[in-house]
Amino acid sequence: MAMDSGHVMADPRAVSTGDNQTVLIQRTLRSGQSIFYPGNVVVLGDVNPGAQVTATGDVIVVGALRGTVHAGAGGNEAAVVIAFRLEPTQLRIANYVSRPPSGVIPAGQPEVARIRDGVITIEAFSAAGERQGSVTRVAPCNLEANSEVGCEK
Amino acid sequence: MGEVIVVTSGKGGVGKTTATANIGAGLALRGYKVALVDADIGLRNLDVVLGLENRIVYDLVDVAHGHCRLKQALIKDKRFEGLYLLPAAQTKDKTAVKPEQMREICLQLSEEFDYVIIDCPAGIEQGFRNAIAGAEKAIVITTPEVSAVRDADRVIGLLEAADLREPKLVINRLRPKMVRQGNMMNIEDIIDILAVDLLGVIPEDEKIIITTNRGDPVIQDERSPSGEAFRNITRRILGESVPLMDLERNGNLFSRLRRMVGLG
Repeated sequence: MAMDSGHVMADPRAVSTGDNQTVLIQRTLRSGQSIFYPGNVVVLGDVNPGAQVTATGDVIVVGALRGTVHAGAGGNEAAVVIAFRLEPTQLRIANYVSRPPSGVIPAGQPEVARIRDGVITIEAFSAAGERQGSVTRVAPCNLEANSEVGCEK
Repeated sequence: MGEVIVVTSGKGGVGKTTATANIGAGLALRGYKVALVDADIGLRNLDVVLGLENRIVYDLVDVAHGHCRLKQALIKDKRFEGLYLLPAAQTKDKTAVKPEQMREICLQLSEEFDYVIIDCPAGIEQGFRNAIAGAEKAIVITTPEVSAVRDADRVIGLLEAADLREPKLVINRLRPKMVRQGNMMNIEDIIDILAVDLLGVIPEDEKIIITTNRGDPVIQDERSPSGEAFRNITRRILGESVPLMDLERNGNLFSRLRRMVGLG
């Protein structure tokens, strides 16, 4: 993997949804820094506003996710985004794009974003919930229609 | 060997030059030998803020190109024993100096001075790369504005990539009243995003505008809150542990009374 002033660039031709490789980023991504990886990305740190994470698989942020994130880049709609504090500037999964509505109070707990019935939904994350199938915190909202993440009713 | 510190921010107008002048003057008042370097070639300001503009003969570019010796370009500030300025050129631009030349100048200065403080230009291009080339430590200045904090974050990332680890943060122009009303980012919000050590907080202060326009560092002003904040920052640079000053105490009697009864 080439490192060039904080920019991690894997081979963009290697995009494939069946890739199970995972890269571990052991630092905070600051504004202007970006990661692209054909596989899963785990960030041990924050993703600050102005930073970008793109992965063909899942993106997990063990910290605050405030920047732009794209999971399932290449079209994997099963990809998820998990963060201790999920407050992204913009969140993309596969070909869906969403942004948080203004004025939403942060959940204060780990959350997971995934595509459910054609819309990106945000739910409280718990390892047990993941296995059993989900604890829903917010009502699903139609993404392409109103382009919002975590639209709480 | 002295310490070479770069003062940087990314965004313009947040107070790099003012901070450089005051920290330099503060260290000189403490008895240290300090060289201030204006790396903002083409838009030099540090000489104006220090009131030394009319004494410039040679500048940084002349030194870099060997047109004069380093000692000839250094201007001695007569008000502060031990404070010297290496001014920037005004008729050239940032490409007039290369990072290697800056590194060499910083090295020479650090042999002579206890502290070398570099005033970095705004932006992240060549001027920034020149300014950080010879530095061992960095002070990042921001104001409590989202755009300034975003730029500070970007700059911290670039500093880390250039092996200038653990920069120290100065928050400038904080308005305690606006923070209290929830209309301005507070210190915790800023630290939460930037995740670096805080070197000091400077409250918004009219005095600093007056003194800066006069070419007189505010740090000499015993009564102004910004002067006190800069004196505290100086002491922290010297390794003393100084608590953050009480930013609220400078209100008038009425507003203090209101706060005491919980109305403020």
